[in-house]
Amino acid sequence: MIDSIINSTLILAVPLVFAALGGAIHRRAGVVNIGLEGQMLVGAFCGILASVATGSWFAGVLAGAAGGALTGFIMSLVITRLSANEIIVGLGFNILALGIVGFVLRSQFGVSGTLKFPDQPRIPRLTIPGVEEVPILGAVLSGKDVLFWLAVLLIPVLAWAFAHTRWGVRTRATGVNEVATASLGVRALALRDTAGTLAGLLAGLGGVALALGVSGLFNENMIAGRGFVALAAFYFGRSKPLPTALACLLFSFFDALQIRLQTGGGYSADLIQTLPYIAVVVVLAWTGITGLRRRTRVAV
Amino acid sequence: MTFQQQAPDTGANTSYVPVAVQRRGIPWGGLGRAVWRIAVPVVIALVIGAIALAIGGEQPLVIYGMLVEEAFGDAARWNATLTAATPLLFTGLAAAIAFRGGVFNVGVEGSFAFAGLAASVVGAQTAGLPSALAILACLVAGVVAGVLVALVPAVLRTWCGVDEVVSTLMFNFIVTGVTAWLVQSFFLAPGQANSATAYIGAGAELPLLAPPGQLGVGFLIAIACVIAYAVWARRSQLGFEFDAVGRAPRFSAAQGLRVRTVLMTAMLASGAIGGLGGAVHALGVVHRYSAGFSASFGFTGIAIALLARFNPVGIVVGAIAFGALAAAGATVQLFINIPIQLIDILQGTVMMLAVAQFALPRLRRRRRGAQRSEVAS
Repeated sequence: MIDSIINSTLILAVPLVFAALGGAIHRRAGVVNIGLEGQMLVGAFCGILASVATGSWFAGVLAGAAGGALTGFIMSLVITRLSANEIIVGLGFNILALGIVGFVLRSQFGVSGTLKFPDQPRIPRLTIPGVEEVPILGAVLSGKDVLFWLAVLLIPVLAWAFAHTRWGVRTRATGVNEVATASLGVRALALRDTAGTLAGLLAGLGGVALALGVSGLFNENMIAGRGFVALAAFYFGRSKPLPTALACLLFSFFDALQIRLQTGGGYSADLIQTLPYIAVVVVLAWTGITGLRRRTRVAV
Repeated sequence: MTFQQQAPDTGANTSYVPVAVQRRGIPWGGLGRAVWRIAVPVVIALVIGAIALAIGGEQPLVIYGMLVEEAFGDAARWNATLTAATPLLFTGLAAAIAFRGGVFNVGVEGSFAFAGLAASVVGAQTAGLPSALAILACLVAGVVAGVLVALVPAVLRTWCGVDEVVSTLMFNFIVTGVTAWLVQSFFLAPGQANSATAYIGAGAELPLLAPPGQLGVGFLIAIACVIAYAVWARRSQLGFEFDAVGRAPRFSAAQGLRVRTVLMTAMLASGAIGGLGGAVHALGVVHRYSAGFSASFGFTGIAIALLARFNPVGIVVGAIAFGALAAAGATVQLFINIPIQLIDILQGTVMMLAVAQFALPRLRRRRRGAQRSEVAS
């Protein structure tokens, strides 16, 4: 019981962690990425098509990342170069992505909603021989796929990159004050585009993790709000890699628990699914109220 | 965070180009700018849609012609188009009224859905009441529900300075979950496999205007709301304050305008109108609440409000245009095998680009010449 919940929590967290870390990068560069949902969808779609076409899951992962990165880049261009409001662009982008994917599904494959191929390659799960039998450790470490370990690796790497690399410092500076940063000769817009592309790339990987890792098929509703939960996660973690990833774990734990409890009854899955979103409102309210106190103190 | 402040600056060069320079670029004044702003996103969206159609093996121009024919061909088609436009009039107006006051309410979708549930639940209980009273009770329930959804983000925005965009967006999902739970646990119609409430009483249904068609009194209510909005925005003191606060909140505060009143009114009025829309949709068209009650009317409303730049006539035109797309798309899909997702493609593109600022080529060249920098990347 505990083992299986830990296992499914960790597996369900992988798509969220990728998307949320991407969102965190973009947020650090000063843009709230509402389009994660659409980017995950495009990533999942490209991933499933490429993996079936080539017969290799690795090609699928690459294609998903590339598709996500491309859409992230285009979305970022509209925000930075045409000075459009990021929220509206993101919302519009989600509708557009859903429209394009649905259009291609129906006009090219003639299916509505779900795309499943008989010889669908899956990302292999790595079983670690000695550890597998150990009660809790086994569930944590064994039976995970490559993307899981990539996500784990990404957390410290990203934290280090934000703190110590030139790119990280400049990206954060752009997010804090773009005009001041630009006046120092940093190409703020280009940095934002890089951040947007990275966000798309990671969200695309998240989509691939969902399509090729978790479910093994594509459905146009398969993201089901995960992009917005990822948004919730990086708000919750204040765009810092480790807290963001922990928030993802918390949300995916609810998800796994909810799947478990559905058979038992008594708990409404619909209500449990609102928890991440309520958490964001609480976090926003909390930061708003504390910020208010600080502001008034300065004023007095 | 208000709308204007929130649009990210595009670097040191583009963000502070004075308005006067833009005026010089377009000599035909406000009208030319308005047409330009609307035309560019729409044309680009049509081109992208055409590319999608061409890839799908269809002839774009033929399909577009068919869509126009199906939307406006005869009286019955007009009836369907205006029926589809009715919820969009409400949500477009709801979004516009908030934007005008400088708050960015993304939660109209939630208000719409929650109000639909409230109106359906009340409507199912009105068996003995006279028709007018039953309808009134349902509409009031819808408005109250719509305001409730907007209440928490409004309070947070007005008194704690919390960014309303993300909070209202989150509330859409919260409403989705809560309504699903409410329907599942309390209001499930007996004998229904999927989650839907019971049908409302016959007395609570809004009368139809031209009986074979679906067009109902709701359309007239929507038009009345738009007219009231137009008069109010022009003639009332608060209407003026909305405009001022929406354009320059800090300046308005310094001038002693009632910024908090404006913010609160904008959010709650937006929720109320969204709620009224949801109630009208429940009473006039679907007669009950079920999952997927709102076909993202709230988000389409945002696109309409942005394209119209809060102008009442623009809202009506935009709502009819998107209504036509939805109505015609549904019927065209029956004849030819074009996926209805074409409409999502058009709508998403329009929405993405409605807030983008397209400089005229001439203006752009001049600006670049003046500043010699990486304006155009």
